[in-house]
Amino acid sequence: MEPEQFQETFQRLETEVQKVIVGHRDLIRKVLIAFFAGGHVLLEGVPGLGKTLLVKSLSHALGMSFKRIQFTPDLMPSDIVGTEVLTENIGRREFQFKKGPIFAHVVLADEINRATPKTQSAVLEAMEERQVTVFGESHILESPFMVLATQNPIELEGTYPLPEAQLDRFFFKLLVTSPTPAELREILKRTTGTESDDATKVLPEDSGKLVNEMNQLLRQVMIAPPIEDYVVRLVHATQNDAQNGGQPNGYVKQYIRFGSSPRGAQSVILGAKGNALIEGRVHVSYTDVEKIIYPALRHRLILNFQAEAENVTADQVIAEVIKQVPKN
Amino acid sequence: MQVTSRFQDRDRPENLVIRLIAQLSHHALWDSVLIYLPPALASIYIITSLSQAAWLSELTAILIIAVAIGCGLLAVMLRYRPLIPSVSSAAQLVDQRAGAQDHFLTMATIEQAHCSEAFMARLCHETASFGERVELKRDFPYKLKRSAFWSVGFSLLAVILMHVLVSLVEPGVRSLPVHQRLRGLAEQMAQKPGLNRLAQDLKALATKLEDPKIPREEKQTLAQEMEKKVVEQQKKEEQQENRDLLSQAASTMKGVEQEQTASGQDQQKDQQKGSGGIQSNLPQKGQGDSKQSEGGDGESKSDSSAQPSKDMQKGNSAQGNPKEPGQDKKQQGADAKGNQSDPKQPGNDQSKEKTGKSEGASKEGAGKNQASEEPPQGAPPAERFYKTGEGKEGIRGARYVTVQLPEEVAADSKGESRAAKESKGIRARPQVPVSNAPLPAHVPNAPTEKQQVPIEYRGIIR
Repeated sequence: MEPEQFQETFQRLETEVQKVIVGHRDLIRKVLIAFFAGGHVLLEGVPGLGKTLLVKSLSHALGMSFKRIQFTPDLMPSDIVGTEVLTENIGRREFQFKKGPIFAHVVLADEINRATPKTQSAVLEAMEERQVTVFGESHILESPFMVLATQNPIELEGTYPLPEAQLDRFFFKLLVTSPTPAELREILKRTTGTESDDATKVLPEDSGKLVNEMNQLLRQVMIAPPIEDYVVRLVHATQNDAQNGGQPNGYVKQYIRFGSSPRGAQSVILGAKGNALIEGRVHVSYTDVEKIIYPALRHRLILNFQAEAENVTADQVIAEVIKQVPKN
Repeated sequence: MQVTSRFQDRDRPENLVIRLIAQLSHHALWDSVLIYLPPALASIYIITSLSQAAWLSELTAILIIAVAIGCGLLAVMLRYRPLIPSVSSAAQLVDQRAGAQDHFLTMATIEQAHCSEAFMARLCHETASFGERVELKRDFPYKLKRSAFWSVGFSLLAVILMHVLVSLVEPGVRSLPVHQRLRGLAEQMAQKPGLNRLAQDLKALATKLEDPKIPREEKQTLAQEMEKKVVEQQKKEEQQENRDLLSQAASTMKGVEQEQTASGQDQQKDQQKGSGGIQSNLPQKGQGDSKQSEGGDGESKSDSSAQPSKDMQKGNSAQGNPKEPGQDKKQQGADAKGNQSDPKQPGNDQSKEKTGKSEGASKEGAGKNQASEEPPQGAPPAERFYKTGEGKEGIRGARYVTVQLPEEVAADSKGESRAAKESKGIRARPQVPVSNAPLPAHVPNAPTEKQQVPIEYRGIIR
């Protein structure tokens, strides 16, 4: 596959999803980057912003299998991964594995923070290992596989915030913001009239192979050692002295309890490579890194009580880190 | 690969970055040189000036110049090395100038072996198109930094200041010996037809002045005679050049006279310091009041204008000036035997002082006048307790005067009555104590001059 082909496919997918989703151009782009980089995305936003619709449209455009799991407190792990069911076949009774909704290319884990930690952790293995184990038997998931989880940041009563270990498995955390007046007008026009437009399928039948090729191409994008070093220094700068024995800057020391893991650096570089490809380049630039670092690191920084008390967000901390870390 | 082969020449993007590094390195070198060269040159000039002004020997000057050059080179190297741009920073500069998105940075720093060939070729192509926008000489010209201007300015200022300073101080410091100046003048005069004879005389005088065997008085006389000759010749001379030359010679002769006079005075002073001084009534070597000045009323006045003595301030004995009018030579001689202090032998003075102190102390037990014989008791007061103009050594620049205790007190102190003294033939002393202490107005022979009492006498004088 050539970079131009990647760019073209990407743009077509973007266009198709944007037929359904008004605005959120950057959000769609990053979801697609995460998809082609082989990562999972956590979407955070208040209800009614089109998170579920976005995921549905994306799966339609990709032409891949799509399953939705509505997470509730009484949801059990077996409801997600599947279970052994006793079946009778020609007079013989036997246990047969019944696949859960996790067995799909694109899985929407809606309001993931409403399920219990036990259920949440069932998704953990699936996300990282791309397999599930039921009654000691491992079952490989579909490829490509992507989990798009959503969570509501407001209604926190009766929720179970995702543990750090699970948050770290998400490639990006994207914030779904409210539409602008113009976008809202367009949404109303599209949804309250008689005309409805659905995303059409962009990828061919053997889309799995194509997506894997695109994933390989993305990984071939060149990154200069100074830029790689810059990413390392950025990620390192989020860590405080308790973790690495280094000298953190004042801002980090003031607001961050735990910094980013190495997975954060991986996400930044892969995301930057994806961003470079869709911008028609075969090498990563500093601007790619600065565009990708926010969704890649914001859920990996564990802020302390002072940050919460002062309403300091992870994005503000990242912006400060970018300011303080020199490029050379 | 057509694209790859195309970039194997000098205009490959990596080469552009390398050429930029070389150019920026040159700029950095010039910056460093322009910062440190002016101070180095200025310091060399200053050292040379000092050497010429005879403030520094040639060897020292050469050594200092060598050290200055070494330090300058070291400073240039130390400043230059960190300023050499790295490959990545140079590539970033080219990227910025060309409007590329880190194309040059990637091309210059990436390990091409680990990259996809297709990707590399594409990157090369893109970078080359950006490279066409950059021309190193146009886009990265050398500009003089402000620091260079400051360096030149300060160096010039230092040189000018030094020049002015040397020109102000040099005549006093760098004046040639008189005989050399005279010889120089003589050579100049010898070239003038009318001044040949005078030139020969000047040379002869110079030779005599140089001779240490000829006494000073004779040199002074010769100089005076020559000055007269020069002045006479000057009056006769009509040509302006010759007159100028003669006026120079006359002024030099005056200088010679002054020099000789001054050296004579110095010698006299040295002699005075060695042979005499100012009388002291402090007990020395246990002689106590026997060293008191026995001059009369008139003598006491003349003593009041005596020269100060450092020895006196230190509590040592000092003799009055033998040339002072009214000075008792006998007394001087007697004092000189026991109390003469040689300024050239400070150790001797100290030993004498110690001896005097010990002897004085031994006499305390003998019932002598402790008030007059004892030095001030106790440790000297702290610095802050001294009045303005006073120090540990007494009043700074205080003039020494002879202090005469009232006779009764002196007699009492020795245990002798006035009648007994008179019977010994010692001239009766006036009732008036001769002292630098303020005296009452009714005392007829009170000295007109009022002086502060040196601090070491405050315990003695009542």
